[in-house]
Amino acid sequence: MIQTEEETRDGWRVVNVSGRADAEAADALESVLRAAIEANDKVAASFASLDYISSAGIRALLQAARAAQTRGSEFAVCGLSEPVRRVFDMSGLQHVLNIHGVLPC
Amino acid sequence: MLEEVVLLAVDEASGGLRSAREFSTAYALVGAVFFDLALARRIDTDTEAIHILDRSPTGSAALDRVLAAMSARGDITSVKEWIDEIFRRRDDLEGEALASLAHQGILRHEKTKRLWVIDVERFPMVDNRPQRDVRLRVADAILNDTIPDTRDIMLVSIAEPCGLLGYVLNDSLLAARRHRIQTLCNLETISRKVAAAIRSLESSVHHGVPRVF
Repeated sequence: MIQTEEETRDGWRVVNVSGRADAEAADALESVLRAAIEANDKVAASFASLDYISSAGIRALLQAARAAQTRGSEFAVCGLSEPVRRVFDMSGLQHVLNIHGVLPC
Repeated sequence: MLEEVVLLAVDEASGGLRSAREFSTAYALVGAVFFDLALARRIDTDTEAIHILDRSPTGSAALDRVLAAMSARGDITSVKEWIDEIFRRRDDLEGEALASLAHQGILRHEKTKRLWVIDVERFPMVDNRPQRDVRLRVADAILNDTIPDTRDIMLVSIAEPCGLLGYVLNDSLLAARRHRIQTLCNLETISRKVAAAIRSLESSVHHGVPRVF
């Protein structure tokens, strides 16, 4: 399960995601990010409170990033928690996504 | 995914499955089964483990056989162990996928006899559009810098370690896009583990370590 909260900071729509981004939560994650991307030109997913991300969660994130690319929006991932950073490092997601250490992006 | 991998590997003229290295196409098929199960929301993976989410049948005989085997073996949880296990008991994934493509009218199933005794099965291509489409998707995912669709990431990431990309793009293009290919391959745990399994197999063959399949 994931929980999401949104706020606007320095021109970015920030989607704060917490909990576990696994197969059960993947659709919800993709859909909340896509909705933010549809409505904003600059969107950041903050994973500072995300405890876990599985392959399904990564795929959801990539498809949201793909939607942003298609729309011409800026999309970034910020503030990775330690367990999520380990997964990102192993997957090499920094080569595909804009990843920033801290907000604002 | 299983049929897409077969389309990448199938030789248009002979209808047989090509393999760049020993067992590499067999590993590609095993990886494709796991990707199909993930796409059907039956399993999920993280950096090491496979988790079964739903044991209900998918409607595909090959996938359901693997899912049933996984459900019966609670002692195996790691991606690596499952790839090795399904590789050992892969039965006739290749034959099933070829038969399914023949059923869809993409390949033609031919049975002949060699030396009047030995049955020889061939699956020559009847409609090459699906194969062209799969090759085009793979080439597009590699040659462009945009984020590909999930299925295309899976396809590239399973085709590369199994040596199937050479049937899509020439060596110089593959060399020029090596970094991009490696980036796509790293995104998926299943592909990383399939690549490791192939490396381990090649290393054991190279060093003369006996393995039982």
